[in-house]
Amino acid sequence: MVADAKRARWSPMTLFAILLAAAVMLAPLIWTVLLSLKENEALIGNSGAALAPPYTLENYRSILQGNQVFRWLINSFIVSAGTTIGVLALCSLAGFGFARLEFPFRRTLFVFVLLGLAIPEQAVILPQHQMFAFFGLHNSYPGLILPGLAGPFGVFFMTQYMRAIPRELDEAAKLDGASRLRLFWSVILPLTLPAQATLGVFTFLASWNSYWWPLISATRSDMYTLTVGLAAAQMNYAQTSGLGFLMAQAVFASIPIFIVYILFQKQIVGAMSGTAAR
Amino acid sequence: MTSLELNNIRKAYGATPVLDDVSLSMEAREFVAFLGPSGSGKSTLLRIIAGLETPDAGEVRLEGRRIDQLSPGDRGVAMVFQHYALYPHMSVRDNMAFGLRNVGVPKAEIETRVAEAARVLEIEAQLDKKPGQMSGGQRQRVAIGRAIVKHPKLFLLDEPLSNLDAALRMRTRIELAQIRSRVDAAFIMVTHDQAEAMTLADRIVVMNDRRIQQVGPPMEIYSRPANIFVARFVGSPAMTLAPVELVAGEDRHARVRMGDGAVIETRVPRAQLPAGGGLQLGLRPESVAVATDGTGAARVKVELVERLGERTLLYARFADGAAITAEDEGYSRVKVGDTIDLAIDGAAAHLFDADGRGHHAEARAE
Amino acid sequence: MKVGGARKDWSGLLFVLPFLAAYLIMLIYPLLRGIMLSFQRVDLFGGGQFVGFDNYARLFADATFVQSVLATFALALMIVPLLTVLALSLALALNRATRGAAFFRGVFFSSSVLSVTIVTLIWRFVLAPDAGLMGEAAQALGAEPIPFLSHPTWSLWALAITTIWWSIGLPMMLFLAGLQQIPGDVYEAAALDRASRWTTLLRVTLPALKRTVVLVVMLQTAAQLQVFGQAQLLTGGGPGGATRTMVLFIFESAFARWELGYATAAAEVLFLLIVLLTLTQYLTTMRGSGNDGGR
Repeated sequence: MVADAKRARWSPMTLFAILLAAAVMLAPLIWTVLLSLKENEALIGNSGAALAPPYTLENYRSILQGNQVFRWLINSFIVSAGTTIGVLALCSLAGFGFARLEFPFRRTLFVFVLLGLAIPEQAVILPQHQMFAFFGLHNSYPGLILPGLAGPFGVFFMTQYMRAIPRELDEAAKLDGASRLRLFWSVILPLTLPAQATLGVFTFLASWNSYWWPLISATRSDMYTLTVGLAAAQMNYAQTSGLGFLMAQAVFASIPIFIVYILFQKQIVGAMSGTAAR
Repeated sequence: MTSLELNNIRKAYGATPVLDDVSLSMEAREFVAFLGPSGSGKSTLLRIIAGLETPDAGEVRLEGRRIDQLSPGDRGVAMVFQHYALYPHMSVRDNMAFGLRNVGVPKAEIETRVAEAARVLEIEAQLDKKPGQMSGGQRQRVAIGRAIVKHPKLFLLDEPLSNLDAALRMRTRIELAQIRSRVDAAFIMVTHDQAEAMTLADRIVVMNDRRIQQVGPPMEIYSRPANIFVARFVGSPAMTLAPVELVAGEDRHARVRMGDGAVIETRVPRAQLPAGGGLQLGLRPESVAVATDGTGAARVKVELVERLGERTLLYARFADGAAITAEDEGYSRVKVGDTIDLAIDGAAAHLFDADGRGHHAEARAE
Repeated sequence: MKVGGARKDWSGLLFVLPFLAAYLIMLIYPLLRGIMLSFQRVDLFGGGQFVGFDNYARLFADATFVQSVLATFALALMIVPLLTVLALSLALALNRATRGAAFFRGVFFSSSVLSVTIVTLIWRFVLAPDAGLMGEAAQALGAEPIPFLSHPTWSLWALAITTIWWSIGLPMMLFLAGLQQIPGDVYEAAALDRASRWTTLLRVTLPALKRTVVLVVMLQTAAQLQVFGQAQLLTGGGPGGATRTMVLFIFESAFARWELGYATAAAEVLFLLIVLLTLTQYLTTMRGSGNDGGR
């Protein structure tokens, strides 16, 4: 009886609880979408109007007509893509070095890198800000991408994955006259494709959603990422009173993320569970 | 012409010695088996020849040229790994071509070699498949193919038959013999299975305890084992040893007395034996038969009977506790607990001295 | 003749070097520099004057800072237990192979992929009394809408609810993973022992999940002590600093008042608190837990 709990149907109470919870989960999202589909004027002082038609796509049209939001979207994309590529490259190389090669102090260095996992953002962000200001890197793409390359998680992840590849392949490749770089590129790297996908998606998402650093590094509105832009829009709301438009921006900003989520659900969940379970 | 030469190879992992002053030389086109139990150092020796390990001392030469300081890809040797080590993400064709591409062999040449190897190994239909889509036997042929296309001077085979079931093993043994005849290279095979070594090798290098115990053609290893270890490792079931005493006398061949008094006439020249006691008599089961007409030299009690179909093995014990294995016909009527007489063929007996060295019957003068 | 083997090969390091450079320059160096900064007086005009533990002393005498520490801890206390229980309940309920369960799992995880600014945007207009969903609902029921975001007591709860809504996905997934690792035969043994559903839950499932629970609590504590975006955007730290978390305090000290040294000192204090708390949690719960539920 207990053993097929997995196949049993939900008791009515459980089902009710789940549906209630799901409703609580979805209500804010639905509310947001409804608000975004109303004309700004209709909502002034009366957001309840969102619960009834007429609905319009006007707000979305505004966004698509070359609003600043578009610029923000592109910035987010460039920064996230750049960070992802950078992380995958650096962490694959480093993972290969830690997992497959021998050199002095390898183990010590690895532990040194792992300890970095314990460092929280606020312990380094202020000095980082000072440093980048010194080199004039604020309000630039490199400025937004570089800090993301220093995280040890990717190295840990790739090293663990590469460790699992049988050593015999290295030996066969050696006998096949392959240099280390060739071994890395033609043999090991192709075998890490699933890990690359997982790490890549995870990094992309984390970079897309990051708030604090872009907030203080990109202070010009044309360099805002989507995440920061939305914060600015929120704070300026009082002056604009464009509630529908504001919510449309929120929905618009969610779409890329949800697309990525739906496409890569397995990778995201896997990466996040993997992080924590280390 | 000497093909491979190993001179005074020494290797230790930290404080643990693994190879102790190993030297060997091989002829071109020779098939040599490194035979020994695990821990004997045979795999390490193979890996040193391949370049996957570096010796602490000694040198490796191939056709006169020193190769122990070259990288594995530059040595002119090819290896077939125990678990094949095929690149899972590459097709069979790419698996075989990978090594050639790395050293810059022209494309046309690569294609020719791959096609030819595929033909010889009958894997032409698999060329575009990935290893994951093939059976174990097919994968092994790909692994062999990968080695063949390099046109190496030396093939290294790491336990090629241990992963295979009995039927496949037979087939592969035949295939290996065939490949051998078509290819102009020397072969070294590492194995712990003495039957494999006996059937495939021109010469067997028996290893134990970090050293070479004996080198020689299979029949020599079998009939004239250099020491007790080799004697018991080769041949199944193993040779039995019993402590004996030398009977004093002037005759040419040694005569020995067993624990229970039985006297065996060997054909081991008395002069060969060192002074002092501690002699042991070595007998293979095929030279110990059940005496049918009361002419048996020894009386033993049977403890275990193994019926193999074409013969029956009798594991028995002398009155003084020494063990002996005898062979009887397939339809033997002997039962456990029987006391039987054994007829021992002294001419086939071996004597081992106190140092474990073997002394064998003189070859009959023809 | 001796052959090589004693030669040390550093070339492998080259593969690790690019990452190592980034790591050292952008993580280790700022870490160390931060510690140094915390001992300096740095303001808008530069400065960099060494003042020893002055900043730290000032911090503990600063009512705003102390308030922020209390607010941070209060918030974490509100979030973590509730979050853990809810996530565990959801995991227990959704640990099925049905399509319905998979659908609901997706629903509950979906909020986790949103950025903090989207989340705050959404919840601002749920919680706001005049334009929010809650406001509308209250009016529909004939009640007064509660000004969550500007209420001295409710504001902290508002942040907590928002954060729980946002963060439920990951702990739920971790619990699901933990549940799936419990071998089926343990349940069968319990059934043969005639254990009721409730007993099975208490005596079999939960003990087996102990490790995961500890993990979730540790991770969430560390994460929720660092709440920033929600506090900044939903309530601005108000009213009267009631929702000013430590990270918000750091942010304001550094970027509103330009007291870099002071802010860094606060950051180091938070760092220390997180490490201490996490370590304490780990040591008190994992000590002597070598067994995995009798496998």
